[in-house]
Amino acid sequence: MKWRKLGKIFDPTEHVLPNRCVEFAQSPQTLVMADRVRVYFSTRERDSVGKYLSHVAYADFSRDMSHLLGVSSQTVLPLGGLGCFDEHGIFPFNVLQDGERVLAYTTGWNRKVSVSVDAAIGLAISQDGGETFQRHGTGPIMAASLREPFLVGDAFVQYYGDTYHMWYIYGSRWQKFSESEPPDRVYKIAHATSTDGIMWRRDGRQIIQDRLNDDECQALPTVICVDGVFHMYFCYRQAHGFRQESSRAYRIGYARSNDLAEWVRDDTAAGIDVSADGWDSKMQCYPHVFGCDGKIYLLYNGNEFGRHGFGLAMLEA
Amino acid sequence: MHEFAQSPSVLIEDTYVRVYFCSRPAPGPDGQYLSYISFIDLDRDNLLSIRRVAAHPVLSLGKYGTFDEFGTNPVSVIRDQGEIRAYYAGWTRCESVPFNAAIGLAVSRDGGETFLRLGDGPVLSYSPNEPFLLGSPRIRKFGDRWHLWYVAGKEWLRTEGSLEPVYKIRMASSGDGIDWVKHGEDLIVDKLGPHECQACPDVIYRGGRYHMFFSYRGIRDYKGRDSGYRMAYASSTDMVNWRRDDDQVDMGPSETGWDSEMVSYPHVFELDGATYMLYQGNGMGRAGFGLAVLQAPEQWGQA
Repeated sequence: MKWRKLGKIFDPTEHVLPNRCVEFAQSPQTLVMADRVRVYFSTRERDSVGKYLSHVAYADFSRDMSHLLGVSSQTVLPLGGLGCFDEHGIFPFNVLQDGERVLAYTTGWNRKVSVSVDAAIGLAISQDGGETFQRHGTGPIMAASLREPFLVGDAFVQYYGDTYHMWYIYGSRWQKFSESEPPDRVYKIAHATSTDGIMWRRDGRQIIQDRLNDDECQALPTVICVDGVFHMYFCYRQAHGFRQESSRAYRIGYARSNDLAEWVRDDTAAGIDVSADGWDSKMQCYPHVFGCDGKIYLLYNGNEFGRHGFGLAMLEA
Repeated sequence: MHEFAQSPSVLIEDTYVRVYFCSRPAPGPDGQYLSYISFIDLDRDNLLSIRRVAAHPVLSLGKYGTFDEFGTNPVSVIRDQGEIRAYYAGWTRCESVPFNAAIGLAVSRDGGETFLRLGDGPVLSYSPNEPFLLGSPRIRKFGDRWHLWYVAGKEWLRTEGSLEPVYKIRMASSGDGIDWVKHGEDLIVDKLGPHECQACPDVIYRGGRYHMFFSYRGIRDYKGRDSGYRMAYASSTDMVNWRRDDDQVDMGPSETGWDSEMVSYPHVFELDGATYMLYQGNGMGRAGFGLAVLQAPEQWGQA
């Protein structure tokens, strides 16, 4: 697998976005429509105390991804209510066409004391072709459990055979790495299945082996099936120092499966790495793979977790 | 531990009755409490005689960032095949609202002296129509089915100067007490309107029916006598459809003394031919819990 980089294709600072959002276009995820490719992403406003709130917005592209057609002018999905799991942000936002409706698997964020945040996975449904979404309940469809004690998020859902498959991440521990800084989170990729897309049965295990060390953080799995083989892209990083040092920051990882049960990790086959300079030279994260008109594309974020937008790559034969 | 003895729950032994409860050290500099599970042993022949007080909490608080990092309260215990399980509400602290809770499970294999968590996370957590504040677990096993009655938060309301949650009684069932299927609906009709808070649904089976004792209050001024927690009652033949009839539980506050302002968190159990209710009094159990005995037990369920 080898990807040809097409460069950064969207910069949030060049557009007027709803909800007073000014920077960040994180975790681009697509809905391939008849006349366009809609790319949902999470952008941010600062609230009254100076902290970020993540909101969902979208940008529409031509089906060959060469032209930006427009950006959302309205709220796609408002934040959750007081005390709810998604009160302080929705990021990422994974969409799946499901008959006439569009399902969105959200990661909702809420602020806490001691640790800064927790997260859980919600479901929202669109009946107007992905313009707006309504929540399936005010609570999450997948939250912390006995062995996945916090930070359940980054859902990516696909329908294979007669089963919905979800890849997601769960927090395993908060680890103290330095005296002067608060503990850092560690999270891993897992898998769950469902017959209705709402009630999920979890495998209950980490499915992608660590490459860096036990503290490796794995995030945002995305899966595509090509000629009967399943390919997963995700991002991974060191648990500590990942904001300051490029060598510890997110990179794109890769794993392959023939049966959706066992995955073999092989990052050397990811076919993409950071550039020598420019927007994705220090970090690559939040990959999303999709197919359109016979081509396979990879959307992803670069430096600073997508503060200045997202870019595109195309699979070479 | 400093004050509070909340949510009593019994384990009956040959010569004594162990009462698990939740207690608190003095609050921290921020005025906030932690809450731990402890126990006392009462003489089985004389429940007013305390023969032992646990020297240490039986369960540590949860790890950094987990659901029960800041407290374990209330608790409900049950014996099952040589081990003892404790279902409890674990407390965490939040930024926009003061706290959240989910239900945890810990197991003792040393006769109830110490408990270990089954996992770092909760055994019952949030879902689409139970978005936050899962608490007040009461565990029961009827036949080979496990049943958990608990409360689920519905909304946070802004009242004068504070945020108050509204929570209602719910139920889940399970084949192993670990994987739960939620019933998903409120079980008990409100008496004080939609903002009524319901707590501690304690269920026993007797005379062909299920009997639920619980407590309820409004969301305003509930820390004093006028609007504090009161006892309530409902019965059911199928555990799903409940008929509320608070008149059946004649357990109002006393004229004076430790339970003169509120009576709450009932726990009903049978022992040596008598039926008892443990409950907490004023200040949500700040000054401890007390005992009542059922009079005229032959009239049970006749009304």
